[in-house]
Amino acid sequence: MTNLLQVNSLSKTYGTHRAAHDITFELAEGTSTALIGPNGAGKTTTLSMLAGLVTPTSGSILFRGQPKPDIRASIGYLPQYPKFFPWMSALEFTEMAAILSGVEKRQALIEAKKTLEFVGLGDAMKKRVGTFSGGMKQRLGLAQAIVHEPELLLLDEPVSALDPVGRRQVMNLLKELQQKTTILYSTHILNDAEEMTDQLLFLRKGILVENGSLDDIRKKYANPRILIDFESNEEAEKFKELSPWTAEREKKQVAIDAVKEGVGTPEVLALLNAENLTIRKVELQTASLEDIFMKVVMEE
Amino acid sequence: MSSFNVLLKKEWRENLRTYKLYWIPLVFIIFGVIEPLTNYYLPEIMKSIGNLPEGAEFTWPQFQGEDIFVSLMGQYQMIGILIVILAFMGTISGERKNGTATLLYVRPMSFSHYFLSKWIVINTIVLGSVWLGFFASWYYIRILYNSVAAGEVFAFLGTYSLWLVFAVTVILAFSAWISTGGTAGISILLLLVFQIIDGLIGTYWTVSPWKLSAYAPSAFTGSVDQSDYWLSVGLTVALIILLVLFGIRMSKQNAAKTLV
Repeated sequence: MTNLLQVNSLSKTYGTHRAAHDITFELAEGTSTALIGPNGAGKTTTLSMLAGLVTPTSGSILFRGQPKPDIRASIGYLPQYPKFFPWMSALEFTEMAAILSGVEKRQALIEAKKTLEFVGLGDAMKKRVGTFSGGMKQRLGLAQAIVHEPELLLLDEPVSALDPVGRRQVMNLLKELQQKTTILYSTHILNDAEEMTDQLLFLRKGILVENGSLDDIRKKYANPRILIDFESNEEAEKFKELSPWTAEREKKQVAIDAVKEGVGTPEVLALLNAENLTIRKVELQTASLEDIFMKVVMEE
Repeated sequence: MSSFNVLLKKEWRENLRTYKLYWIPLVFIIFGVIEPLTNYYLPEIMKSIGNLPEGAEFTWPQFQGEDIFVSLMGQYQMIGILIVILAFMGTISGERKNGTATLLYVRPMSFSHYFLSKWIVINTIVLGSVWLGFFASWYYIRILYNSVAAGEVFAFLGTYSLWLVFAVTVILAFSAWISTGGTAGISILLLLVFQIIDGLIGTYWTVSPWKLSAYAPSAFTGSVDQSDYWLSVGLTVALIILLVLFGIRMSKQNAAKTLV
């Protein structure tokens, strides 16, 4: 797989505020990458620089290995809150977007119609955007970003502002798009990231603090623990004393750090059987993406 | 070129659908109609409702048709220019502020196309409105006053139109540079306050864009120094070109200020 985009120590400083600092990553062609971080972490700044809206203070962006002065022709960009001219119809806007992105005039109308059908605005394409609901605007935003079939799709919080139904619909559209194009999107909703991501980029205060595939990051931060729930406090305490491993007791629950103690569930179960302790539940707990998020992004 | 065409079309549609294409010409036409009518009927209006003391006699100035054109221009110079400023001060800064510009700026669009599409459409609307206003006035001038030679009228309108293009360019260039409020302030200063300053102490210089409105009536009288007139025209054209270039540059430089 070739690299579509290569970002080298990209930085943006506003006065003394470092919105993005020394950000380096690559996007392989055909992959989906999630940019994750709390509000104010620099997600929007990073995407704006890639979209050509904001000029980086330093650093370079290579497109297919080449520095490209204007990558705007090759990208589709959906801002967090896309704003449209309320007096325009969805079709007029999408057609204009296509032409401005270099699609030939006659083809632009055909592509605009096709794209609006794809995002589910087929019935509303002649309506003025001023009458659209939030979900419809978001879908129109997606339509204008993909109408010229860009090589790279940049989406800033594509589903955060939507209700659960709208979110599901847009997620399904994105999954379909994922088959055709390279996607970089920011989000702070981790379920979404989990659903359609090959690569995760964690940003904190403008710095890229973690970068890797979902599996790699899972493995690194999984921190598996064996949790045993007992019938009573006494049994839990008894187990803790018997156990050859360091264990922590919280009322009826005992926890063992699986990696540190080098122990698996079979050994624990064997011990439980041997001592004839009544248990309610034995569980191997790994960190959820949310735990990882808190650990990677929030810790000082 | 098709990207330029699509931007032109966008501007035209915008002004059509936000009704600027209707109300701005209408306002100028109303002024154009009122000016000859009120001047003509003023003595009678004053006689019937003016509450003049018994036996008071006034000699009302005897207006010629040419004078009406000039006094209508005086109306346009204040109220007309103010309307144009208010209608178009947010042309670029407003698009940046409400974020509608963002989805244009992220496309491989030329900023000169962006600026010039607005410049052309707004000039068309403003010149069209002012010309329609003068034509409406001309109609009543012919009926109520004397007939004014078409050549003189067009020479007068030509000179005044250059000043209007200058005014539109000032508004648009500042809208590309600073906020909508700032644009309004500076445009009022440059286009209205400077006019007054030029009128008060303008005898010390003869060449400036603000002199164009003073020189325009010379189409009827032919009483102006030709070299001063042409130097003012040349200076205004040069300033328009510089302001257009400045506006294009500022549109591009301030693209990052658009709301995302």
